[in-house]
Parts: sequence; C-alpha cells; structure tokens
Amino acid sequence: MECNLLVGGEAGQGLASIENELTDILARLHYCYFATKNYMSRIRGGHNFHMFRISRNPVHALSGQGWDMIIALDGETEVRHVPALKKEGIVLSPQHVQEIEKTAREKYHDVIASNSILVGVVLGVIGCTQDMIEKKTKGIHSLDKIIEGVAFAERWDLARRCPVDPRVTNRLRFDGNQALALGAILGGCQFMAGYPMTPATSIMMYYSRAALDLSIHFEQAEDEISAINMALGASYAGLRAMVATSGGGFALMQEAVSLAGMTETPVVIIEAQRPGPSTGLPTRTEQGDLNFVLHAGHGEFPRALFAPGSIEEAVAIAQRSFELADRFQIPVFILTDQYFADSLQIIEAEIPTGVSQRDYRTYDATYMRYRLTPDGVSPLTYPGMGEALVRVDSDEHTEEGTITEDLNLRVRMVKKRMHKLELLKKESLMPTFYGAEDAGVFVVCWGSNKLIVKEAVERIQAEGAKIGALHFGQVYPLTEEMVTGYNLSGKRILFLENNATGQFAKLLKRELNINVSDHILKYNGECFTVEEVCRSVREFLV
Amino acid sequence: MVLKKETAWCPGCGNLGIRKVLEEVLKELPFPPQQVVFTSGIGQAAKMPHYLDVHYFNGLHGRSIPLAVGIKLAWPELTVVAYSGDGCIYGEGGNHFIHAIRKNIDITILVSNNKVYGLTKGQSSPTTDMGAKNSLDPGGNENRPLNPLTLAITMGAPFVARGFAGEPDHLRKVIREAILFKGTAVVDILQPCVTFNKINTYQFYRERVYTVGAPATDKYEALRVADIWGEKIPIGVFYRNGDIKTRESEERLFQKPVSEGSIIDLIKTRHAAVP
Repeated sequence: MECNLLVGGEAGQGLASIENELTDILARLHYCYFATKNYMSRIRGGHNFHMFRISRNPVHALSGQGWDMIIALDGETEVRHVPALKKEGIVLSPQHVQEIEKTAREKYHDVIASNSILVGVVLGVIGCTQDMIEKKTKGIHSLDKIIEGVAFAERWDLARRCPVDPRVTNRLRFDGNQALALGAILGGCQFMAGYPMTPATSIMMYYSRAALDLSIHFEQAEDEISAINMALGASYAGLRAMVATSGGGFALMQEAVSLAGMTETPVVIIEAQRPGPSTGLPTRTEQGDLNFVLHAGHGEFPRALFAPGSIEEAVAIAQRSFELADRFQIPVFILTDQYFADSLQIIEAEIPTGVSQRDYRTYDATYMRYRLTPDGVSPLTYPGMGEALVRVDSDEHTEEGTITEDLNLRVRMVKKRMHKLELLKKESLMPTFYGAEDAGVFVVCWGSNKLIVKEAVERIQAEGAKIGALHFGQVYPLTEEMVTGYNLSGKRILFLENNATGQFAKLLKRELNINVSDHILKYNGECFTVEEVCRSVREFLV
Repeated sequence: MVLKKETAWCPGCGNLGIRKVLEEVLKELPFPPQQVVFTSGIGQAAKMPHYLDVHYFNGLHGRSIPLAVGIKLAWPELTVVAYSGDGCIYGEGGNHFIHAIRKNIDITILVSNNKVYGLTKGQSSPTTDMGAKNSLDPGGNENRPLNPLTLAITMGAPFVARGFAGEPDHLRKVIREAILFKGTAVVDILQPCVTFNKINTYQFYRERVYTVGAPATDKYEALRVADIWGEKIPIGVFYRNGDIKTRESEERLFQKPVSEGSIIDLIKTRHAAVP
C-alpha cells in the first residue's frame, strides 16, 4: 500500500516547511518516500505543489495513478488537482485548513503551527497513532502539534483511510543534488567555485556547508566565467576541482571548457538542466542541453558526459568523474536536471565512504607538461612540487608548454589530445537493462528518467506484456560494446526523453547507427510519471 | 637561469624593459622561482610568462585574475602574480579586477598599460584617451578612459602603485614591494607601444613622470594622487595599508585529503533517515 499525496498552495504558504517536516518525521517513523515539487520562479503567490509518494518499500518516481490525498491550501489547488483524485481519495479543502489555522492561533498563538498540524493529519491518514509517533520522535519540538493533527484526522474520520506500513531497515535520504555533491567529495574534489543558478544552487549549498567541517573549499565567484577559471586555477595548482551551473551559466563557461581541453586541465562540470532557450522556465525540468554540452567549447578535444538516474548512480558517477578527469586530463560533464535535483527520497543502498585521491608525483627540471607519450597522456604534476616547472598554455604549444606555430607539431599535439578519447572509450560505463531481453519493444532513456522507466517496465510486465528498457548513464562517448547482445536492429525502439527533438536518439543514430522507431517526448517542464510512461508504451504494444 | 628567447614583441617595446625588470625581481625574491606562479590572459603583454623562468598558466583573454585566485586558494604557499595588458585586465576582465580586490587574497596584479590593443593591431582600450584615433574609431575615441588606480583604491585594494617601463630601477622596487606585500597588490605599468600608440611614447612619459614620496595611508589622499594625469604623471606606491586582513588563515587543503571518518559523520548527520 502507498499514499500519493499532493500539497498545493501559493509560494510563501508554508509548502516548503510542510515538506521538510513531513519528510523528516516520515523517515524517523521508518517510512519510505519519494518527494518532488513543482514550483514557480517567485517568492510569494502563484501556484506551487509538492508531491509525496509514501510507501513501505523504496520508491523513486511519481506513480501517476491519481492522488490518495490532496491538501489544498488555496482554492486553485482544488480546481487544478482534484480532477486527478482517486475515487476514494481525500481532500483537505481550504476550509479544513482554516479550521486548523484557527486551532493553531488559539492554542499555539502562532498560525505557523498549522504546518505541523497538517503533517499530523497526514500521519493519521497513513495510520500512525499517537503512541507510535511519541515513541519514535523524541525530542522534536513540534510533537504536540503533530499529535493535534492526528486528533484532527480522527475527528474528521480520516484516520487510517490510506494505511501504509513502515518498515525497519538502515536507510538514508538524499536528493539528486546532494548525491552529486557527496559523490564529488568522495571523488576527492577539494575545490568548488560557483555562481548561484537554479537548479544547480543546492549542489553549492551542500558543498559550502560541508566545507565548514571538511578539508574542502567553496568560493562564490562574481560570474560563471570566473567560477570555472578559478576551478581551472585550483586544479592546475593541485586540487581536484568542479563547478556546477545550469544552461545559461554554462553558456558563459564555454570558452573555459575549451581552455580545459587545450591545457589538459582536469575539471568536472555539473550542468543541471532546466527548460530553455534563454531563461526559459527557471524552476522546471528538461533534458534539453545534451547537444549543447556535447558540443560546448570551440575546437576539438575529448570529453566524457554522464547522466545519472538514481541516487547511488549519481554518487558513483560523480566520484568516478574526478578519477577520469585526472587520468585523462580532460573536462568531464555530469548532466542532471531540476526533477532529479529536487527529488528527495529514501534509499536502502549503501553509500561508499572511501575518498579517492589525486596522485601527487614530483619530477626533475627536465619535466615537460605536454611530453608526447605513446598514449597521449603526459605526466601531471603541480607547481611548487620539486624542480619541475609547470607551464600551461591556451595557445597551441610545445611539449614544454610554450606558444608555438610549428604546424607539424600542431598535428602531433592534436593527435595526442584526441587519442585520449580512445582510452576513455575503453573505460565506458555500460547501460543498465530492465525487463525482458527477448521483448520486441525496447524503451531507451538516459539521465533522470531511469527509475521512472524501470517502474513502468515492472508495471507493464506485471500486466503480462513483454518489454525491455535500456538506460544510459554514460551518454558520451558511446561504444558498440554498450549495445552488443541486445539485438537492437530487430526491435521497435522507443526513445523517451524530456526534450522536444529527441537529442539522445539522434546521438545514438550518429554514433552507433541505431534507428529510432518512435519518440516519447515531454517538454512542458514537468517530469514523466510512471503511469504516463506506461500509457505511452502500451500504445506500441498492441 | 634566464632563458634567452626571441620574444614576439616589437623592437623598443615597453614589455622588453619590463621583462628585464621582472627577471631581476625574481632573482631578488627571498624564495626560489619554483614557488612563483604567473597567470596571464591574451594579448602581447600576456606572453610575458613565456619569457620568464617561472611556472605559468597562460589562459584566456581577460581571465588571468580568476586563475590566480583559484591557484592561491588551492595552495596559499605559492606566490601568485597575474600579469596581462590593459585590454585584458581592465576590459575583458574588468569584472574580475573589481571583484578579486574584494576578496582580500594575497595576489599581485601587474598590468602592462600601453593604452591600446597591440596584438589585434591598434584599437582603443579601456585606458585610451578621449579623441585618440585608432583602427575602430577613426573619428577619435569618444569614451572616457578608465583610471584603474582610483578604481582599485575605491574597491579597497590595500596596495596600489604605478610604475613606468622607462624607469627600470624604480619599477623593480615597486614590483618587488608589491609581490612581497601581504594582500592584493595592484601595479599599473606605463608601457609605451612603439607601433600603435604614437602619443604615449617614452618621451611623453619622461617629460611628465615624477616619483611620489612615502605611500599614503589615507585613502582620500591616495585617490587625489591617483587622479593626477596631465602635465604631471605620478609614479610610485600611492596607497599602502597593511592593516587590511588577507585571507591567510585559509585552511591548507593541498595534499590533505578529506578523511573517511569525516565522510561517515557527514552521511550520519545529513542523510541518516533516523538521526
């Protein structure tokens, strides 16, 4: 059993507080959940809504099969969302909310107490009793208000209307951006510079807060251009470094991406996508920047692009990105999006705790930063270590790092740099497969759609139909090995992406000659729900 | 050891003299050149590090300062100098010039100011005088010139100076003092461009420059001196304030990785479902 809950209202009505308190207490009570939000780019007013899927087992996507409960802090929430209420679903109307606010004012002399009371109502609805709550939430300051909420649920005959069992295991809670930031720290990233931009800001918030206790540094820059150049400076001086931004900020960083390619300075760049072009929909989701990031920066140089689809994968990919960036002395990109960034969830997987480290080697005075080696990777060291002079140049350069216009040397340097792409291909991360390999229809997706598609495959298979799905966590480079064994030429392939033009489908065609049968595209700024994917896929199964 | 290299500069270029001065300064510093990193941008002046025996990161046009900031934050033991021209530091990188000063980081910003774009062959720069005719304003420059030193003082730079490529002994002392100064030091260097600036020549400056006495500790007095430009042009250290705190207490990060224990704590405090 699960409870799908929507809480809607204006910005500033307490939605974020309700989310914080509800997810905190649900975790303490051993429930699993998936929480994400749909909000406007404003501080007050408008229409925002937070969605919660409360479950006994871990859940990582919105179900999309209707709401079991809607809390409408305003009339607009009722108008917009009650049509998607399940037949036996519950609605707390603005009138109910007013009654709770009245109690909050009279009993607690504070209308804000109504947030905690509403959380209590939800707990009552999923079957929590006063006893259970008191036992598991010792020390939380709002306990009396939450209990008041449970009493409201009983008074309104809502208690246990949508029961969910808790389950006791060792669990962690993460949102996508926290997973990337932690993964970066595990990857040995000790320097981050940034300029705030939704939906990348929370990566910087996590990192800068962690820097209070850890030997890492966050620097807020005056603009994105400065941020990435600071990161390159820090990387050159010996620290693994990263930046995070969204499309518009990344546009400003492009020249330095090319600089990283030319100077062979390791750096990791997280691009948290939101719908463009231009300012677009600042607080919504899209996968529209794949082509942009793939081609960002003038000139030719190797790069890797990753797009994680689960918390565990985000941690692992972020960590690995720093290892690859160092090994091949290249820029490595991680594509994420607002949906994944803002999705808070309970996971049962273990998160690693070992931190990777940069290799610090010293060289004598004969050191040459761009020494031509058989595999194209030159020895890397840092200024101030030993006798080596570390000379790095954005111009085409000699092995010593001095400016050159020797055109024969130019060709050798291009070959040296590009050869690293071949090495990178050998380290490729294989896609994840779900469902039946002998199915006639395959869904192909990348990035944050991973676990939505996974659950859709499970739902469809449970209905007795056969389907397979491939998720690419590495979106570039793409190699033949990634798809061998799946007999893709004999399948109907549905490309599912959050963009209008099917960017990944075109990339797979270009790189691996895989033909698109059909597209399932969504680009209104919202994520897919599991049921929505099922509906789209079912059409191709008949 | 000094590398004798053919430079990409014109015979008589002010940068040649500045290079000689920098070689001497590097020899005089109380630490080896292996501890000194130069960053630079793009332009004729930005080629300077190639002709010195130092570590360098010759990056993008306008971006020498953020590179320097990143290097200094990553490894504070390094002595970091951002070196570029007026177009690079005051034009393309003007935003970084302003904001890096706010950071109170111990870096030195040296600017070869020839009041013209050289490498792109003679366009007006942010410091070009009004009325000067250059390739993109054949009718004469209509913009007022930027005064980098009043700007630096206003932004709170604790060490602000001007040198002249034609006064090498004086310049050597100023640059040495700037590099050894603990805090953000800005030195604008008057650098004649023999090819594209026929107004601000060696002779033009020789007739006008005079050396200021002890640096002002009062900001408004420093501003008054930095604002002088015309019949007389002051050179020297205009402002020096050792009381402004730099970020030297910054934790040393280099080769000090995050411990597994602190990761375990982080996961426990931020991510454990049941705290």
